[in-house]
Amino acid sequence: MLQPHNQYVSFENEWRQALLVVRNLLNQRNVSKFEWQDLFVINNRITSWVDDGCKKLMNELEKEVNSHVTNAGKRIHNYNDDESLLHSYITEWTNYSVQVRHLPMPFSFVERTNNSHKFNGCNRPTARSQESPNLVRNTMLEIWNHVVFTKISDRLLNVAMNLVERERNGESIDTKLIVGIRESFVELNTDVENPLALYVAHFEQHYLESLERFYKSRTSEFLEKNGILAYMAFADEKLTEEENRAKKYLDFSKPESNEKLIEKCVKVLVIEYEDQLLAESPPLIRNYEIPRLKMLYRLIDKTPNGIQSMLNNLFEHIKIEGLNAMRQNAEIITSDSEKFVEQLLEMYTKFSGLIKDAFLNDARFLTIRDKAFQEVVNNTDVFKIEFQNKSMKGSVESRCPELLATYCDILLRKSNVSKKLSSEEIDEKLNNVLLVLKYVQNKDIFMRYHKTHLSRRLILEMSADQEKEENLVNRFREAGMPADYVNKLFRMLQDIEINKDLNSTFKKSVSGVNNNRNFTDSVTLKILNTGAWGRGKERAHVSLPRELEDFIPEVEEFYKKQHTGRKLNWTHNLSSGTIVFATKMGKYELEVTTYQMSVLFCWNERPNAKISYETLKLATELTETDLNRTLVTLVAFPKIKHQILLTDCAPVNPKNFTDSTLFWINQDFSVVKNDKAQVRGKMNLIGRLHLTAEQDEQEHDEIIQLRVFRIQEAIVKIMKMRKQIHTAQLQTELVEMLKHMFLPSRKLIKEQIEWLIEQKYLKRSDDDINTFIYIRH
Amino acid sequence: MNESSPSKSPPKSENKLFTLKKWNAVAMWAWDVECDTCAICRVHLMEACLRCQSDSKAEDCVVVWGECNHSFHNCCMSLWVKQNNRCPLCQQDWTVQRIGQ
Repeated sequence: MLQPHNQYVSFENEWRQALLVVRNLLNQRNVSKFEWQDLFVINNRITSWVDDGCKKLMNELEKEVNSHVTNAGKRIHNYNDDESLLHSYITEWTNYSVQVRHLPMPFSFVERTNNSHKFNGCNRPTARSQESPNLVRNTMLEIWNHVVFTKISDRLLNVAMNLVERERNGESIDTKLIVGIRESFVELNTDVENPLALYVAHFEQHYLESLERFYKSRTSEFLEKNGILAYMAFADEKLTEEENRAKKYLDFSKPESNEKLIEKCVKVLVIEYEDQLLAESPPLIRNYEIPRLKMLYRLIDKTPNGIQSMLNNLFEHIKIEGLNAMRQNAEIITSDSEKFVEQLLEMYTKFSGLIKDAFLNDARFLTIRDKAFQEVVNNTDVFKIEFQNKSMKGSVESRCPELLATYCDILLRKSNVSKKLSSEEIDEKLNNVLLVLKYVQNKDIFMRYHKTHLSRRLILEMSADQEKEENLVNRFREAGMPADYVNKLFRMLQDIEINKDLNSTFKKSVSGVNNNRNFTDSVTLKILNTGAWGRGKERAHVSLPRELEDFIPEVEEFYKKQHTGRKLNWTHNLSSGTIVFATKMGKYELEVTTYQMSVLFCWNERPNAKISYETLKLATELTETDLNRTLVTLVAFPKIKHQILLTDCAPVNPKNFTDSTLFWINQDFSVVKNDKAQVRGKMNLIGRLHLTAEQDEQEHDEIIQLRVFRIQEAIVKIMKMRKQIHTAQLQTELVEMLKHMFLPSRKLIKEQIEWLIEQKYLKRSDDDINTFIYIRH
Repeated sequence: MNESSPSKSPPKSENKLFTLKKWNAVAMWAWDVECDTCAICRVHLMEACLRCQSDSKAEDCVVVWGECNHSFHNCCMSLWVKQNNRCPLCQQDWTVQRIGQ
């Protein structure tokens, strides 16, 4: 109990009291709360009042611990066979380590006094104790290490490893034994700098070696007996098993430890047989064996280089399967854009599913999918556009962008397909188009076709949903489609809105003045911005029916009042109308182009006449090309029972038309529905309008011309920035700059470089023929 | 070959073979200019000038005509006259004749 301060404090007396408690603690006997608290007080008294109290106290304690540990050592050595030795070591160690946690607490005064007073007399003569606040704890561990552990550590380790091996063989063992040994190695480390050094050098080292030894013979045996596929499962299972085992037995406080273990496992289980495993990858991919691929991926992903080989396998597979599927269905999909897009999507979904299920959407596999799918999409085996232009002669490109644009048109226009689909379904399909579009190299072609289709939808008012049109254009922008194309599409959509206002203003302005008011009501104007819609034909000339001809100046007059500085170019090739056709069978409404109208109105003055080609040409003032095309739609419109006009030209082909070829009205014309002639009816003869009037060749010329400009522009941009550049880098930067529009061919690039050199925008370097230098202007 | 004889009496207008019911007229407008390209920014006059393109104000980018009948983007010209009040093409003093609308 507390003693008054002034009384003399004798170390012997005090320690005698303390020793009892210390012994009880060491031997795991009951210590009461009072005794425990008393020990603190006694120690405090000794260190405070006794000369050299610290030193004396530590010496006595050390003596006591030493003899305790020596006894424990003796008890352990009573057992001769390895396993009992291990058992008893662990029992003693477990007990002792409890004391290592508790005993230092009452002695914390010693540590503190020692530190705050720098009282060397108290210190044990080791470097560690001077710095460490855990003086007592460390002393205890050191004694254990010295007296017990170092003498038998190798033996213990061997026994422990044998136990692990038995566990690997399926026996159940007492895991505490192995964990205890590991703890001993970790706790008894004496290196301050590297607290795990002892553990790493002995325990971990042995563990990894025994692991390797264990599997080395077994794996090849298993493989020989069960084959590579079974081995794959075996390796996968063992890998997981060893990882889990290591979690129990190894110290994973540092990540390197885990890495070392995995590295070792992978080496013995996977890398040894990597070639054989990888050889299985192509057939597994071909047969979509998801669980096995997943397993193989798990294994190979752990090796340093193996995954590349699997990536290559997947690339080949996507390419070959994709192209085969296209070739097999070539006949259907080349003519049916819907089937084509669906085919592409079906494959895309299949490949993506494989990557998701088997390769867990690993980014490397996704990249490979994109690369391979791009090859499929842009492949020119099945469909191609052949360029006849001189600078692109013989070069071919996939028709994919064209078919994609056609598919968009089917979805966006009032068509049989779009009517059957819900709004959500259409959105989903449009999403799919964008998805495929991402892989299309020549986006300029897609945009061109899309613009043509959009023009037709807007001019003929066939667009099913204006909002969807706008959304799609917005999506194009987000998808990084060429900005100037996107802007034009937007302006086209805006133009249509502007024209709605224009029409109502027009009707109001004319209603007071005009005597032909009824007719004004039946006219709709579309006055469009040339910059956005394209200049189109120089002049689409046609002689209009009288009432329309008279109408034109009226509109021009009106428009002049609305705007200044604008001139109008009537594009009758784009306009259309509804006419009523009265035959002896009934009255029919025909939707016709203005060209068709102009031709048909020739018969108004003489309904029964047979009119010659030459007369029609004079009367309509159409060019031969336009007249031919218009006449064909009137004498041989596809899929109708009765044609509007009849002719003496057989077979019907514009090539066979001569000036004297005769045309006359089919007086028996009627609209036929369900095999019955109708008295009233409607028919649309507009077809594709005169938008795609230009020949493909001309269309392609324009595409190429635009590309030429883009390349020139891009080269100048790059040169301005770089001043001087090597040809290889120029190529790379060009492709990067233009890839959202098209993939420039080497030949085209080369020609443009030559042209720019001729025009003195660049010159070749004197030192290196392959380096170009920008010439300032 | 001769054309067949025309019908004896031309049909009355309401009995015409073809009567017009609706017409959708389409025209393209463009600035009424002599030269398509703006000599200041080198962009086609039907497109917005570079400045407006990058500010996406393409709607407001109109054309201006001088008394000399030369035309430019209005934005380009209004910057130009701050430095030099002459037409960049003919060097006459610049007076605005009209502004497109």
